[in-house]
Amino acid sequence: MLNLTLWAAESGQILAAGSSDDDSGGLGLVFLLSGFVFYSAIYFRYRNSDKRHGHESETEATMVNMQEHDEFVKARKGLSNRRMSGANNTAVRGASNKFSTGIMSKFKL
Amino acid sequence: MPMDAVEPETPPPATTDDAPRVINTDDGAKDGLAKCARCGATEISLNVATGHLRCGFCRFEWSTDNAIEAFNLNGDISKLTGLLVGSGSSDIVPSTDEILTFKCSACGAEVVIDTNTSTQARCHWCRNTLSMNQQVPNGAVPDMILPFKVEKSTAVEKIAHFVGKRKFFAHPTFRAEFNAENVMGVYLPYMVVDINAHAKLSGQGEHQTRSYTVKVGDSTQQRYDADLYNVAREFDIHVNDLTVESSSDRLDQNTAVNSNNIINTIMPFDVENSVRYDSNYLAGFTSERRDSNLDQLAPLAHTQAEDITRHRVNDTLKFYDRGVRWAAEEVDVRGQRWVSAYLPVWLYSYQQRKSNGKTFLHYVAVNARTGETMGSIPLHQSKLLIVSGIVQLVGTVIGLVLVAVGI
Repeated sequence: MLNLTLWAAESGQILAAGSSDDDSGGLGLVFLLSGFVFYSAIYFRYRNSDKRHGHESETEATMVNMQEHDEFVKARKGLSNRRMSGANNTAVRGASNKFSTGIMSKFKL
Repeated sequence: MPMDAVEPETPPPATTDDAPRVINTDDGAKDGLAKCARCGATEISLNVATGHLRCGFCRFEWSTDNAIEAFNLNGDISKLTGLLVGSGSSDIVPSTDEILTFKCSACGAEVVIDTNTSTQARCHWCRNTLSMNQQVPNGAVPDMILPFKVEKSTAVEKIAHFVGKRKFFAHPTFRAEFNAENVMGVYLPYMVVDINAHAKLSGQGEHQTRSYTVKVGDSTQQRYDADLYNVAREFDIHVNDLTVESSSDRLDQNTAVNSNNIINTIMPFDVENSVRYDSNYLAGFTSERRDSNLDQLAPLAHTQAEDITRHRVNDTLKFYDRGVRWAAEEVDVRGQRWVSAYLPVWLYSYQQRKSNGKTFLHYVAVNARTGETMGSIPLHQSKLLIVSGIVQLVGTVIGLVLVAVGI
């Protein structure tokens, strides 16, 4: 059943990505997957298998002696993705619950 | 452990090699009968309402020293070098017994303490309570303990409320058997880590300059223009009270086979309010023994410290609204301080027996300091599938109509 949930989550992600770049027929596609979306929503509400301690944001930490370097490289035109390709500045690698940092983290982007 | 505080007055002496420096946290600790200073009774337990230990006979109350102050754990993290560990965090020696025998000093009888679940036992002859407070290398006595603050009645209320909002699709057997009164108070083992590190990150970031739509065939699509930058950051980072589970069972958070992630979710704890270990805090509660050593937990703690570094530096990257792709990340740990702790959790557990004969242990957990609640509720799969099927059927009809009209 978890596989079904994962598949539904994947589908939702594809839908989300699709609807952001192409606005035609997006709402219709959401309705076509409504059963899977409903199942996933209830599954995670009851089982909370996607939940974990957010150590990366909930742990106290301070930065000191900051040195910053920013250098313009070039302008890029006509990009189709809303996020930078390969951006990893919000990546989490130290969570014991790998499920929460796998597919679920993609929804947070 | 609070930062920007004073350096320990008497730090452990530096060693010539890479061996850890040890903070002795069981100085003056005694095993055996721990008596009330006023009446001599051993019937001592935590008064959750006040956070003090209380004598069950004369009601005299007293508190134990704050562990952070008692062991000088509030030293400036920026001055941390090498490895500093509490004596209660020392490596577990496999040959050390888990079941220990003590001689009751009141009547001479031999009393057995199973350190897997507690560090106290009652003498079966004279009914006095024997406590184990000295550290032995089996992970049973930690450096410090954070007493329960949330009362059982509050925890029961929170669990009942959490489950009450998730009853419709809950498994009928669970619904029939659920009783929040069965919640148990458990002290779970953790390691609390302070880290002084130097970080160096380099990569590229993008800043969006324009967003517009273009026509592709019959449809319109979104396009973006962005400026690309080379980005680098170099800084010192001081991580305070990073908390990791130190029980191998709890570290296993494969949600396909257990619900340990629920207990993980209710962190963080206010570990700065931990006190010196005293077994009397365990009276009426149960505990789980630490079974993982520092070298097993260090890779996880260091990876989490890298996560914290990566997320904290985002404060300086707000200009790069399309994100940053780090090509190189170096987090050099220069100093670290490890102490073991028992942290308090109210735990409701439910063993679900599935139709295929397998079992799954569900937890509903309450952080006994902050009251944060999380849980896993067994699902009535067939009911959920039927309702999802109906939703799908209705959604398909509506979706086909919307697609046909191009919405």
